[in-house]
Amino acid sequence: MPRLEKIEYKPISVRELFLEMKNLSELMIDLAYSAALFNDKELAEDVLELENHVDTLTYLLDMEIMIAARDAEDAEALTGVAKVASAADKISDAAADIAAIVTQNIGIHPIVSEVFEKVEERLTRAKVNEDSILVGKHIDKLDLAARMGVDIIAIRRHKDWIIDPKDTEQIKSGDILIARGAPSGIKEFKELVEGKLRKLED
Amino acid sequence: MSRKQRKRFEEIVERFVELKDTSELMMDLAYSSLLFNSKELAEDVQRLEEHVDDLHTDFELLVLSSGFKPEEAKDFLGLIRLGVVTEKIADAAAEIAEVVLRGIEPHPVLKLAIEEAEETVTYVQVAENSSLANKTLREVQIPEETGMWVLAIRRENKWIRPKPYTKIKASDVLIASGYAEGEEDLKKLASP
Repeated sequence: MPRLEKIEYKPISVRELFLEMKNLSELMIDLAYSAALFNDKELAEDVLELENHVDTLTYLLDMEIMIAARDAEDAEALTGVAKVASAADKISDAAADIAAIVTQNIGIHPIVSEVFEKVEERLTRAKVNEDSILVGKHIDKLDLAARMGVDIIAIRRHKDWIIDPKDTEQIKSGDILIARGAPSGIKEFKELVEGKLRKLED
Repeated sequence: MSRKQRKRFEEIVERFVELKDTSELMMDLAYSSLLFNSKELAEDVQRLEEHVDDLHTDFELLVLSSGFKPEEAKDFLGLIRLGVVTEKIADAAAEIAEVVLRGIEPHPVLKLAIEEAEETVTYVQVAENSSLANKTLREVQIPEETGMWVLAIRRENKWIRPKPYTKIKASDVLIASGYAEGEEDLKKLASP
């Protein structure tokens, strides 16, 4: 059993908390599917950790909502926020369930992963070739979202996963990147990472 | 592995991808229903939830009847669990839609967090004589032509999460969001 963190009130805005919950829950689903399909235990463990974090955020958000409600009208409006936040929490639980398939060694048939990789065109995993033009670049300088609609959601460097990397993160040779996005962009991205495509098009 | 076995795996994966796509489509639509305070979209999410229940049952039956060996049981358990997860996601999406159906005015915080520039959501049916009929989404370039983005396609009882190679057919209903000015352009394209 993981030790549960003691939760104390912190003044964080409802908007900030809700935004983080929504984004994390969606990110976790993609990370969890990646962990299951590539049978990656460390990534799965990171998803479980994120799930704990989302739980903490849910508590903080509930506290914030209680403080914010001054009258019946506020309460009515904020109930909607609490409901939607609880749905985001459920989505993160669902992601953790996927991750648990990996951490509990239940596994998914290798052929299923193979076929799935072919049909799921929104997610990819690729290793940075030393010849790739991405080596040494900061993520924000690449402007992948604007160029090809692709978003790097995790980087594996040596033994660690960097989840939802910051814009200032530098891509290194040998990094394993997990990205999501539009199928056409994903294909181009993979070629860039593997050093087969040597030019970034605008 | 025999060819027959491989084919069966491919069928299982295909069904699973349909489940996964539908559950994720529901999440997109549920957040859009909040953003636009659209009861119509929210009702569609609720209907999709029932549809996912059926898909999920079919998927489970397919997995369970695939004649796996005892030593493969764990791999197949993994598949069953993946199916359960898609259903949980669908349920969560339905709960988001419920907020709209209960008439709770979406709090500004929710709209800010969903942070989309779109102003409106619209439903258009593709007429027989539309230039969109029998073309793929990539060919017709709806966002470039109209500024509208296709969220989903409803074809009789089926729901399709749009992909570039998805072919549009006459009598499809396109659910699209975008700027108010684009709505008329899209309507003209769909039913000239």
